[in-house]
Amino acid sequence: MTSTNQKELIRAAQDGDGQAFALLLEESYDTLYRFAYRWCGNRADAEDITQQACMKLALSINQFRFEAAFSSWLYRLVINCAKDWYKSQNRHQHDNIDDWIEPEPTPDQTAENRIYLQQLLRLLDQMSDGFKETALLVHGEGLSHAEAAAILQVKESTVSWRLHDIRKQLQLLQQQPDGSWELSL
Amino acid sequence: MNRHDMKDDDLQRLLQEQPPKPEADTKARHIAAAMAAFVAQQNTQSASEKPAEDLSTHSQTASEEKKSTIVQGFLQRLRLTRDTNHHGDKSMNNTMNNNGFDNRSFWQKPALISGIAASSLAVLAGLTFMQHLMINSDEQELAARIAEQSLNKSVPLNVQEPLADAEVEEIVVTGIRASLQQEAEVKRTANASVDAVSEEDFGQMPEASVSTSLQRIEKIAISPKTTAEVRPMVLAAPAPMAEEIMVSQPPQEFRDRFENFNENTVIAASENPVSTFSIDVDTASYSFLRRMLNNGQLPEKDAVRSEELINYFDYAYPVPKDRKTPFATYTSVMDSPWKAGNKLIHIGIQGYQLAASDIPQSNLVFLLDVSGSMDEPSKLPLVKQSMSLLLETLKPDDTISIVVYAGAAGTVLEPTKVKEKNKILAALNNLQAGGSTAGAEGIALAYQLAEANFNAQGVNRIILATDGDFNVGQTGDEALQDFVERKREKGIYLSVLGFGQGNYQDEMMQTLAQNGNGTAAYIDTLSEAQKVLVTEATSNLFPIAKDVKIQVEFNPNTVKEYRLIGYETRALNREDFSNDKVDAGEIGAGQRVTAIYEITPVGAQSGLLEESRYQQQNKPDTGKNSEYAFLRLRYKLPSETQSTLIETPIEKNVLLEALAGYQQEVNFSIAVAGFAQLLKGSNYAGDFTYDKVIELAQANKGKDEFGYRTEFVQLVRKAKIAKEM
Repeated sequence: MTSTNQKELIRAAQDGDGQAFALLLEESYDTLYRFAYRWCGNRADAEDITQQACMKLALSINQFRFEAAFSSWLYRLVINCAKDWYKSQNRHQHDNIDDWIEPEPTPDQTAENRIYLQQLLRLLDQMSDGFKETALLVHGEGLSHAEAAAILQVKESTVSWRLHDIRKQLQLLQQQPDGSWELSL
Repeated sequence: MNRHDMKDDDLQRLLQEQPPKPEADTKARHIAAAMAAFVAQQNTQSASEKPAEDLSTHSQTASEEKKSTIVQGFLQRLRLTRDTNHHGDKSMNNTMNNNGFDNRSFWQKPALISGIAASSLAVLAGLTFMQHLMINSDEQELAARIAEQSLNKSVPLNVQEPLADAEVEEIVVTGIRASLQQEAEVKRTANASVDAVSEEDFGQMPEASVSTSLQRIEKIAISPKTTAEVRPMVLAAPAPMAEEIMVSQPPQEFRDRFENFNENTVIAASENPVSTFSIDVDTASYSFLRRMLNNGQLPEKDAVRSEELINYFDYAYPVPKDRKTPFATYTSVMDSPWKAGNKLIHIGIQGYQLAASDIPQSNLVFLLDVSGSMDEPSKLPLVKQSMSLLLETLKPDDTISIVVYAGAAGTVLEPTKVKEKNKILAALNNLQAGGSTAGAEGIALAYQLAEANFNAQGVNRIILATDGDFNVGQTGDEALQDFVERKREKGIYLSVLGFGQGNYQDEMMQTLAQNGNGTAAYIDTLSEAQKVLVTEATSNLFPIAKDVKIQVEFNPNTVKEYRLIGYETRALNREDFSNDKVDAGEIGAGQRVTAIYEITPVGAQSGLLEESRYQQQNKPDTGKNSEYAFLRLRYKLPSETQSTLIETPIEKNVLLEALAGYQQEVNFSIAVAGFAQLLKGSNYAGDFTYDKVIELAQANKGKDEFGYRTEFVQLVRKAKIAKEM
């Protein structure tokens, strides 16, 4: 879809055109889902987050001001939904080994990678606010530091610093024989 | 898992991993829900816009904020929340403050809203998903759509053309109704031979055609990317043979892969008096067929390797007294129980048992398959249990390492002394199954570890536990075979433990173990693990002789024809016997090997071969007419490269009284041989029946300390029932 085409769709949707919104959502859905999946690394949670994001998109499409790229806006939407969702999850259940969701196998993912990815996502969850989305946008989605900075509404140098800090933190970690990661100091 | 630093590239690699596509159902559901919210939002907006216009003092943003709070209230009702409190509120409102409830503007009333939501949902669902629903509408349209899609993906036309042609030809030949030809036409023009084949038509097509059509449908069903990858294979084998399809089509149980081989036939001693083979101490075939029979199924014929059945049992042949030759050979002759007039020559070889103090140190690498296919109770859990059992039999100073492979191979446990048992067990218990099977990579890594920790004084061995599926990497049987063979020359041996059923790659397992100077065992139960890894641990771990070859030369003056029972997959050429370069089987400490020939003595009427009309019957009298045959046996000590020869004549009348209990062991092995022949549906089974097998086995069960022989009798009974079914 061309950007002008997309703009027209957004404007139509903002004017209350249901069909335009349906098309727009249809186009955006995969991005929403993909990024939600990257955030949590399993299908069930990704679906929950995506549903929230779709609802939020329906409700707040009017607030889109064409100041930034629509895709950036979508990323921000998912990040907010994911954070809200995690907050609501943590209110109800404590982090417990029994809550471990066995990530379902996907064709091009190996067993170890699935487990490593889960561990990595958990580590990122534990880091300071903003770190996880920075890592996901740059390393996962392959965006430049500037693009990520625009989405996160921070300075480009902040993105670079966060990424640097994540690497530093990860290098301090060593995997324990039981498979978990701990600080090796 | 291996101690392993989280690296930069890990970060990037893991995060880059492409998430799976959303499920269409979920997507549709989510979009529909969002559409409902959108419509509700629009309705509130238009409704609230009027007051907003009136109150012109409100800024645009303020009114929007207000709207969005209203809408969130809406969604509370639209969402199926677990919170039922608002129902309670409602009733309280109704009873206590009726006005308050009714005062809400009309669009806030739940019933009305759900009505709006539902109707708009229906309309929009219709609009948005019409194109998706079209998929189910019409086959012709489907064909057109798929054709369009494949054209969009710019699939070269010439790739599919020959396939379509081939299929059309088949259809014409079998004279299927004209409408089919129309469909074929559709297919050809659509450049996707698949989609126009309706289910109904499958039944009317010839077998081969059905399967090819099915195959092609599968091809289209996968995503365009993978289709492109699959295509070259299709090109390479444009017209699969009917037999091949039969292998791939039936359900799981029959996907076990066995090497095809033909049973040994009767050979005239006058034409080819020499029979040569390599010994085989494997037992995998027996435990595999036990599993099948316990399920009430008869095993396929190629799964029955007679020698592996015979060698499963612990015949109590007398142990050699003299250590100079690592094993004792015994021969005896008796009447064939299944064919009057024929005789059986029974050859028993018994290796010496290592004293506990003589057992060398071991450097073992467990190479464990943790791919997705191992995720069954009879696989990975049994592997773990088996490995724990094996730990019990090792000495504290032996070292163990664990390598696992799934999509990739990794070291789970660096070489660790057995005395740190808890560490080893923890590593074992942490294993989980999942992913594909990079078997070749795992083998390479395991050898690397074994080499790094090479113990020149001890035994260096890799123990591979797998269901035999090597589906990633360099998986050609031959390439792996060469690799294992080269490593064997460096002193690292490989044993294979097979697990599970449904996808068991027996041929691969046999090949690897044979080339790795190891045994191939099939573990179907924990008691089999106990037998292989505890009771017979020393046999399976410590070879006392390698490249053991047997050559029997029959005396044409006394033997008219002969037939070797089993060892079909171990046959050697006559010249291989004295060639030390040619690899053959190993014997472990205390192990025993049995080989049985069926012969027709000269003069007996039970032979199958006609006398030659033209060949001269000038058999020179060698003065050795008391002998049926001459047994030659070659072996190498594990550390040697030169073979040693043992020779024994096989006399017509061997007196066995000196060896108490020996005849009983011989008889039992013959019962097993007879059973193998019956299971294989052998042409030489004579008048033997399962009942006679049971009778012979029962009479010769002996002490049967572990109950294996009793179990054998049970299995024969099961085979009898399965046959009758």
